[in-house]
Amino acid sequence: MKSDTNKQTTHLFSQRFSRNKVMELSITGILRFFTYLVIVLAGYLFLDITYNGSKAVFTKEAPFVNFQFLTEKPQTLHVFEPADIDTQLKSAKAEILTKSIKRRALSNSNYEAAEAFTLAIKDLNKEVKELDDLRKERRLMFSDTEYRALATTPSTKDFVYSTYAYSGGGIGPAIIGTILLVFGSILIALTLGVLCAVYLSEYSKPGKVLQSIRLSILNLSGVPSIVFGLFGFGLFVLYLDWGVSLMAGWFTLALMALPVIITASEESMRAIPKGFREGSLALGASKWTCIRTNVLPYAMPGILTSSIMGIARVAGETAPIMFTAAFALRDRLPWEGLENSTDFFFQGVMALPYHIYVVSSKIPQNEYTQNMQYGTAFVFLLIVGLFALSSIILRVKVRKKYDW
Amino acid sequence: MNVNFDIQGKQAEPSKPPKPVIKTKNLDFAYGDSQALFNISMDIFKKEVTAFIGPSGCGKSTLLRCFNRMNDLIDIAQIKSGSIRISDIDIYNKDVDVIELRKHVGMVFQKSNPFPKSIYENIAYGMRIQGVKNRSELDETVESSLRGAALWDEVKDRLNKSALGLSGGQQQRLCIARALAVKPKIILMDEPCSALDPVATAKVEELIHKLKKHYTIVVVTHNMQQAARVSDRTAFFYLGRLVEYETTEQIFMNPKNSKTEAYVSGRFG
Amino acid sequence: MKRYFHKELTELKNKLILLGEKSHEVVHLSIEGLLENNIEKVNEAYGMDDYVDVLEMEISHACIRYMSLRGPVSSDLRLLVVALKASKDFERIADEAHSIAQKSYRLLTTEGSLKNALNLSEMGTLACQLVNDSISCFVEEDIDKAFLILKKDHEIDAINQKHFDTLSNEASRDEMSDTARFNTMLISKSIERIGDHAKNIAGEVIFLLNGDQ
Repeated sequence: MKSDTNKQTTHLFSQRFSRNKVMELSITGILRFFTYLVIVLAGYLFLDITYNGSKAVFTKEAPFVNFQFLTEKPQTLHVFEPADIDTQLKSAKAEILTKSIKRRALSNSNYEAAEAFTLAIKDLNKEVKELDDLRKERRLMFSDTEYRALATTPSTKDFVYSTYAYSGGGIGPAIIGTILLVFGSILIALTLGVLCAVYLSEYSKPGKVLQSIRLSILNLSGVPSIVFGLFGFGLFVLYLDWGVSLMAGWFTLALMALPVIITASEESMRAIPKGFREGSLALGASKWTCIRTNVLPYAMPGILTSSIMGIARVAGETAPIMFTAAFALRDRLPWEGLENSTDFFFQGVMALPYHIYVVSSKIPQNEYTQNMQYGTAFVFLLIVGLFALSSIILRVKVRKKYDW
Repeated sequence: MNVNFDIQGKQAEPSKPPKPVIKTKNLDFAYGDSQALFNISMDIFKKEVTAFIGPSGCGKSTLLRCFNRMNDLIDIAQIKSGSIRISDIDIYNKDVDVIELRKHVGMVFQKSNPFPKSIYENIAYGMRIQGVKNRSELDETVESSLRGAALWDEVKDRLNKSALGLSGGQQQRLCIARALAVKPKIILMDEPCSALDPVATAKVEELIHKLKKHYTIVVVTHNMQQAARVSDRTAFFYLGRLVEYETTEQIFMNPKNSKTEAYVSGRFG
Repeated sequence: MKRYFHKELTELKNKLILLGEKSHEVVHLSIEGLLENNIEKVNEAYGMDDYVDVLEMEISHACIRYMSLRGPVSSDLRLLVVALKASKDFERIADEAHSIAQKSYRLLTTEGSLKNALNLSEMGTLACQLVNDSISCFVEEDIDKAFLILKKDHEIDAINQKHFDTLSNEASRDEMSDTARFNTMLISKSIERIGDHAKNIAGEVIFLLNGDQ
């Protein structure tokens, strides 16, 4: 029966082998492979930062969040390592080194000797690990303030003393600085961007001039961030003499975000159905009334979401604030020690991206500095992610509300 | 047995001679280099429904939009020669305030375009932008406009709900009500039923029939049956020219022009 | 939903009924006038024809207007077609009655009175009844009555045939003048035609009600 049906199953629409089908399958496979590759790479990046960073940001005990890290100022880390263990460790490590060199020098035939070395190295490694744990248990770490508050410093006989800049304390001022920078530049960029976009999309007459304006705005978004940084430095910091300040940073960031905001705003306004405008004008509204009551309110959510996205990305840039707004270290919070209120705008701040740059390029990388480096990156990632998330939530909510 | 004896066709014609409110004279209109209307001369009469028919691109919508200067929105659109007078005022004169004109000449669009606000706010919009803040005055106008558009009974319980929740036909009648709220004398309708189903279309047509007691209505339509049903006069446009303008009866029962004949009988092209 | 133009259909219907009533009246008057020897009634019947003609024209105009402007279909369209045809029939009925009145007038003025009424009285009553029935079956939308009319028409035909036989008989020549005989014959023929038109109307009502030809 079965062999019979085999013949009958080749009907009009039965499966047939063809080159096209093979092609189709292999192309799907290739596309899938590269997509997954990208996802794996991105995933690794995020996981790495999250894993290492969460060590700094989260704790094992009750509140689970290391508020100290999030709120305190960066400080120098003072480390006292127990001297005896330190020397033992050093010798053990040296022995491992010599043993492995020796083993490598052995000829290939001498299996037994090599085996013996491997075992010995294994034992030594175990010992090193135990010593290391002991060291971690007995070592003393102080941030700057704690160190200064100490009645007696541990004796240098018992302890090996070393310091690591920026590695103690937290990144509070940098977080605050970043948030200040982002909100300020959102305000400035939105105002400028929306005004420009309203004019461009509603008032200007289409033609060569408008074309070239649009083109130059588009080109602006292709300018490297370091050029913006230098421009801001030249114009705001030097020429207008604002100094390295929040204001200079805001305007530089806002300028950088403008192309995105203008394009997005124009897009949002163009997406408002023509009918709203016509309906409003036909009821006797003037052009501005029409825009104010019937275009901007409905375009605003779209403008906001894409602007927040744009700003969040710009806020991640180091170059534009490097010369204009960011201090590597500032021990005062922005609202501390102001002589008059305008000073608030003309002070430099710490910012996360610049802080990342500083801690990753200016200090050595070891177990004491790593916390700060990864922690900062992780917090920054979180903040940028929050901005992106809020814009997505806003968009989804608004989509539901205005569905025409 | 008591049956009135006037011949039916004569009922539509008012006893007084009709009074023209929109007088178009030798109008030439162009979008940039391409001329859209050629030498249009026609009078539109008070408290009548006038229908514009013709194939797409024949200029009927363009002419309609000339009546409340909606074409001003298009930069390259301009009147080359001729004039349009509404109530004996040249509406393209420099001293004419477009805003006042548009309050006088309301418009309803092809695609119903309620604003994404509540039903109440949609109707009140026209008055709010004129600065009316008095709540009772707004309430009154909203109700009378909705009643005028035969929509009050359907929406009175949900005035504060979004207008987007209304059905297509209701939305279109809402747009008519919105236009009524600014108390126009003339209402222009640009294919008001093209996106509606037959039942909604019938309702809008009923409304048009009802409104002509108080308003002068000009309606552009692709649906010849609709023109025949609702209008008192019909103008047939072809390639930017006014081919024939007569009473609807004349156009549909005995058109003078062979093109009109071909178009209304579906033998066009 | 009732549309504003549906009122026009009702008006049309009423007008058609009015036309029916009028043509019935003409028939009734003309035959009665003949049988009762009443010249006034005959004259009245004679004069009503113009009015019926105007009414018929109005109806056909209204029908064509409604057809071209309102795009009627199904029962509305059937009503219009029926109105067109029935109004023509009613008008023909009135025409026949008109010619009866004409002949009657001639008979009454030359002969003084109708010498031999034959069965004209019965025939006239029957015809009047048929016309009346055709109107009421339209008004009441009564299809059974309409079928009944189709049957009754044969009776009139039979009587007419009998009249023809009688009047063409040698015996009748002595009794009546030739003019009287011919006129009576024509009157009988006209009444028979009226019956035929009533039958046609009944057929149209059947078409209106069930859509069959």
